[in-house]
Amino acid sequence: MAWQDYTHDMQRCTRCSYCKWIPYRYMQNTDFMQGCPSLSRYNWHAYAASGKFNMAYSLLQERIEIDDTFLDVLYRCQMDGSCDISCKVQQDLEPLQLMQELRIKCVEDGHLIPEHMIVIDGLRKEDNMMMAKKTERGKWAEGLEVKNLTEESAEVVYHVGCRYSFDEELWPAARGGLQLLLDAGVDVGIMGREEACCGGRAYELGYLGEIVKYAEHQTETFRTAGVKTLVTPCADCYAAFKVLYDKIDRKLGIEVLHITEYLDRLIKEGRLKLNKAVPMTVTYHDPCHLGRLGEPWIHWEGKEYKVMGQMIVHDPPKKFRRGAGGVYEPPRDILKSIPGLKLVEMYRTREYSWCCGAGGGVIDAYPDFSTWTGAERLKEAKAVGAEAIVSACPWCKRNFLDAVKESGEKIEVYDIVELVQKAVD
Amino acid sequence: MADKKPGEIIGSSNVLDRPEVLQDYAADTSFAPRIKPSCIVRPANAGEVQAIIKWANETGTPLVPVSSGAPHFRGDTVPGVEGAVIVDLSRMKKIIRIDPVNKLAMVEPGVTYGELQPELEKEGLCAYMPLAPRGGKSVIGSVLEREPVTMPSHHWDSTDPLLCAEVVFGSGDRFRTGEASGPDTVEEQWEIDRVQINPFGHSHVDFQRLIAGAQGTIGIVTWATLKCCYLSSVSRALLVPCDNIEPLIELIYKPLKFRLGGKLFILNGLNLACLLGNSPGEIQKLINALPSWVLFASFEGYGILPEEKAAYEQADFVAMAKSCGLKPQTAIPGAKAEDVAALLCKPSPEPYWKTRFKKGFQDVFFLTTLDRTPDFITAMYDMAKQCKYPPDNIGVYIQPVVQGTSCHCEFNLYYDPSVESEAAKQLVSAGSEKLAGMGGFFSRPYPAWKDSAYRNAAGTLAVQRKIKEIFDPNGILNPGKLCF
Amino acid sequence: MKLSQEEYGALEEIVGAEHITQEPVILDTYNQVWGNKFFFDAKHSVRPAAVLLPADTREISEIVKTCNKYGILFKAFSSGFEYLSLSLVHPKGILLDLRRMNRIIEIDVKNMRAVVEPYVSVYRLQLEAARHGLYTGRIGVGYSAGVIATECCHHGCQHTMVFTSGYGRNILGVEWVLPTGEILNMGSGEGGGDRFSADGPGFSLRGILRGRTGANGGHGVITRVSVKLYPWYGPPQWRQTKQPGEAPSMGQLEKVPDGYRVFVPSFNNLDDTLDASQEMCRAEILCAFGIAILGTTPFFEGNDEEWAAMQKMGGSSVQSFDPAGGLTVANSTVCIIGYQSPRELEYREKCLRAITEKWGGKFSPEFNEPRALARAFADMMWSNGVNLRATGDFLPSSSSPDGSPAMLKKLALEEAEVKKRYEEAGAFLALGSGARLVSWRPEEHLSIGAQGISTAQYDPYDPDSLKAARAFIDELFDPRSPFNRYGVPSRGGCLQIEPVTHIHQNWGHMYDNYDMWLKKIKKMLDPNTVGDWTAYIPPEYPDYAKDGDYVLPSYGKEEQL
Repeated sequence: MAWQDYTHDMQRCTRCSYCKWIPYRYMQNTDFMQGCPSLSRYNWHAYAASGKFNMAYSLLQERIEIDDTFLDVLYRCQMDGSCDISCKVQQDLEPLQLMQELRIKCVEDGHLIPEHMIVIDGLRKEDNMMMAKKTERGKWAEGLEVKNLTEESAEVVYHVGCRYSFDEELWPAARGGLQLLLDAGVDVGIMGREEACCGGRAYELGYLGEIVKYAEHQTETFRTAGVKTLVTPCADCYAAFKVLYDKIDRKLGIEVLHITEYLDRLIKEGRLKLNKAVPMTVTYHDPCHLGRLGEPWIHWEGKEYKVMGQMIVHDPPKKFRRGAGGVYEPPRDILKSIPGLKLVEMYRTREYSWCCGAGGGVIDAYPDFSTWTGAERLKEAKAVGAEAIVSACPWCKRNFLDAVKESGEKIEVYDIVELVQKAVD
Repeated sequence: MADKKPGEIIGSSNVLDRPEVLQDYAADTSFAPRIKPSCIVRPANAGEVQAIIKWANETGTPLVPVSSGAPHFRGDTVPGVEGAVIVDLSRMKKIIRIDPVNKLAMVEPGVTYGELQPELEKEGLCAYMPLAPRGGKSVIGSVLEREPVTMPSHHWDSTDPLLCAEVVFGSGDRFRTGEASGPDTVEEQWEIDRVQINPFGHSHVDFQRLIAGAQGTIGIVTWATLKCCYLSSVSRALLVPCDNIEPLIELIYKPLKFRLGGKLFILNGLNLACLLGNSPGEIQKLINALPSWVLFASFEGYGILPEEKAAYEQADFVAMAKSCGLKPQTAIPGAKAEDVAALLCKPSPEPYWKTRFKKGFQDVFFLTTLDRTPDFITAMYDMAKQCKYPPDNIGVYIQPVVQGTSCHCEFNLYYDPSVESEAAKQLVSAGSEKLAGMGGFFSRPYPAWKDSAYRNAAGTLAVQRKIKEIFDPNGILNPGKLCF
Repeated sequence: MKLSQEEYGALEEIVGAEHITQEPVILDTYNQVWGNKFFFDAKHSVRPAAVLLPADTREISEIVKTCNKYGILFKAFSSGFEYLSLSLVHPKGILLDLRRMNRIIEIDVKNMRAVVEPYVSVYRLQLEAARHGLYTGRIGVGYSAGVIATECCHHGCQHTMVFTSGYGRNILGVEWVLPTGEILNMGSGEGGGDRFSADGPGFSLRGILRGRTGANGGHGVITRVSVKLYPWYGPPQWRQTKQPGEAPSMGQLEKVPDGYRVFVPSFNNLDDTLDASQEMCRAEILCAFGIAILGTTPFFEGNDEEWAAMQKMGGSSVQSFDPAGGLTVANSTVCIIGYQSPRELEYREKCLRAITEKWGGKFSPEFNEPRALARAFADMMWSNGVNLRATGDFLPSSSSPDGSPAMLKKLALEEAEVKKRYEEAGAFLALGSGARLVSWRPEEHLSIGAQGISTAQYDPYDPDSLKAARAFIDELFDPRSPFNRYGVPSRGGCLQIEPVTHIHQNWGHMYDNYDMWLKKIKKMLDPNTVGDWTAYIPPEYPDYAKDGDYVLPSYGKEEQL
């Protein structure tokens, strides 16, 4: 849908401001009630999802133009979807989709964020979002005895994603995930140097063409490799492969799982045994792209009509994605199976989770905002008594590590794979 | 109108100007300066009130509205300037309507508690009363003064039990507040079940708040509707004695939090003795027998299960008291709870209870929070010593108000007017100054302490004066009172 | 319009460059809110010249003084969820977004009060107060509604008013920046003392702070309020979680919390329902109460889900709203009891059951099973928000004044006849069989009457529905109508835009000329008329088109950007 197709939504945004908070029914602590990092940081109503509806409507009415302020408001947003979930508790509107379409429009019209341009330039040249050399990709797996899917086939492809590929500090988790699969006897391979970006982040920045290109490339690559299942330790990649490709009608055609789903399966099947105690109090951070944004896409085409006089309904009935269908329990089940580990929950969890801060291009263009957002999450983790914050996405881990450095908060940062590794003999 | 005399407006028999009568209205038992009015007018209805106000505007004559009968105590009904005319509303004595379904009464300003209560009882209702008011006390007078009632659980707001009112502003405009406003007469409103019950507005202003606490400086009320309580078919009462007030304060917070119980207040032994005793000798005996402090609590049974209501409230209260290490009783040395209870649904028998001990008394009262009352009591006793006034002659009355979020803290200074006036006067002045300095909120600024009251209220004063200019542009209503 | 460099600079000097904007992109996010289309014929109301984010009272005072100096209109708001929070009379106006003033200053547990700043929401205070066994009443409009907006500035009706009152009755102290920029602290707080009374010395300035409705930003900025708190009988904290069979996005309580009980008696006809309701309210046993608005059924994820469920129920869903249909929703009440002891519970429950029996009521299993009661509790005690999803909007107001239950019944039935015409024409959401619902919210155990409830839901982007909505309101707001004896509609300015619907001008002279006094008070407080009066009153009425004495509605507005 184009951005103008959300006119109904723009008109019906009532300014109830639910987009600014997590749903009240899930509020537990008044220090941690807010849901939207953008609004929390920048205060102007424009930074909330409702503000984007307002901006879009004003643009439609030619009352405003896309200028620097417009871009600043639109792009200082992690596209984390908290607003979307909260809005949909009370409304049948699509704030996140509208914001996505606005970004696509901006890119199409040539309104570009310079920092994003650099990243996309790198993507186009080197097939990654990290401004790194393609030839360096795959180095993370050096020394691991694993199938190279450019040369042989396997049941499962382990796709680490751009962040894991080039962020050396995070390699242990990337390697650890693969090793766990190998040790469990999974028939798994990697694309190594030939692994390419999923295109998901580029799409979030508004670059529609990029995701189409990579979706087609990945589909062909995996078809050639003969894999049946894709497993990724990166939540962004997970959402791209599982949800976004479906959204743009480029379904991957194979099973897509996050590493936590796979490990959970292995543990429950007895193929992965966690026997060593890991005495630690941890809290689990739900990555946006594994949680609310990882909810399967729902295609709908139809029309709006009215019943009972004026109630607005759809034909066929329209199901909205309200976040409950994301991946929330497998990571928790894993943590609960680790002996000696105590899991405490933060106040904003699951589809009402506070974003780590990295998404939507913010980590590239507005790193101080990204770090601030992450630091807010660390405060919450400390508030519930956690010694460590555990996530399941390299972007989350990177941003939390940066936030620890910046804020001086005394808390460990782990990827869930690392804790599983600690628990394995 | 200016060329008319009051007698031509309301009939000469309703204008009093005999010297002895003027003397009666020139002063009261407060230490307000004696200023003789020029006459007393006694209107019979709102039309006459309005006519008098219009005349006063045209002639520049100050008016002092009075609704209660003598004696008066606080200086607010004594003229503040020369040449004033007293508007005595005591002829307006109609109990216009009692609504037992909606639990309200509509009365004129001359109606006293003694007159209203029996009529209410016939309809199964009871007035919200202050503590044993004097016989001539006007119900509307008391309510407009924001006198605290003895039932804090039903005291939602400082204006309670006031609902709506008809008022003639100082400008001469007639106005009906709240739901009473409208194109119809009140009788026409009753036809569509508009019963003048809702006090708000109309619109963006709560007009009734501008006349309550105003000491007649904004308008003269010609009728008001008032909330009433159900008449209890069952009533139980308890007294909680204590040597110190602090445990009683700790206790009183408990039922207040849950709006439990009916009448609820604390008296010191002296005040309880004055209430119960009929003569100085009796009172002295009671003082010797009674504990230093007594909390009174009643449990009112009405509605569909009156016995059960009163019973559970009492039982829960006893449990609360026990948790504070206190023992409520139906009788204590010198007093029975039921005797106190009997005094609370009617005016004080004559002589007025505050005059029985030493004939003279002065009240000093203000608002504070319950937890601060011990400090204020200590301060008042200390001030008394400094003023060479015997602290043992100070009665104390603590009445929770607005459901316990604050309390009316009252000191009654009993004295023999023939020999002790100077000490009493000094203590009123110095005491109120001191207590205001400690944060006592003198929300009802009678002449004895209005300077202290307004000293820290410059902003309020400035706005009140502007409001006065709106509703009484010629300043004819009770000049010299409040900050005017 | 743009402020001059000097004007903008003066304001920027006060708040800092980061906290003021005149960027059109941002300005246009401050003039779009539900109800706008109804009044202004557009989703946009007048675009402010600037929006500011002040940090504290001092900054607001300076801003207001600057407005006086340059003749700039101003209005402050917290959540801004009402169109009248953001409406401006003309474009040389600024809005003050009070988001940064969000502290709970104190909760005095013993003396049962809380002091808060403007952005503190009702629900946030409910969460905090509960930790101390205290509670503030539930506001109808949703959980982002501010405490100050509710108590001081706007409406303040609470679904729990039977126990927690409303309409400014809970104000114990106020800090108020007047339209001149002076700061007024009312009552005991003025001398620096605790804020336990806002009344005096002398008569109370709460009288001009608000009445049946607040000034809606028209007479300055309230920067602090002290509010009375009530007992909270439940746990210090609670969890609402996903429940099986319920919409996943709507967390629920597993059960009614300890300390409370919920009962939903149903009666055979409307008269019995209303008589029983009155008796229950006057019995002083309730913490919350509702007629015909139950909240017992599961919430639906969206309109489609709701419609599907209604289709499954078939005709019975329609009948459930018919007061002539016996034990229906229309003849049911939600009664919530709080108790601090087993004895209290025993008494209150016995009382409620006795009254129910007396009026022939029954406890239908459908409304009284534990999940239904848990839903009703959460709906009644914590704010769910208005249902704007169904049609996109709801009517700004109908007449709905306050008064005795008997009067409200008369008015509701008469008004429902009018509404029925529009429902039958398909212009409004028609829930039931066209039956006439009667509902009211009791205030203070009915000791000061009750608030009439009446809403209609329409689609502002459906021209026929919009036209019908205006016609309906015009009927009710016309002082020549048969409703003119029941009270000023919109409660005398609660949800109306004076330059459009002219309530004060049309009704004032019939209601003791209250508007004359309002105008004088406005002029006194705001001599330079810099406080926006779209939802308050002007010092003088501008020239509007009239039909005889009746000022015609002025929907729509041409705006020059």
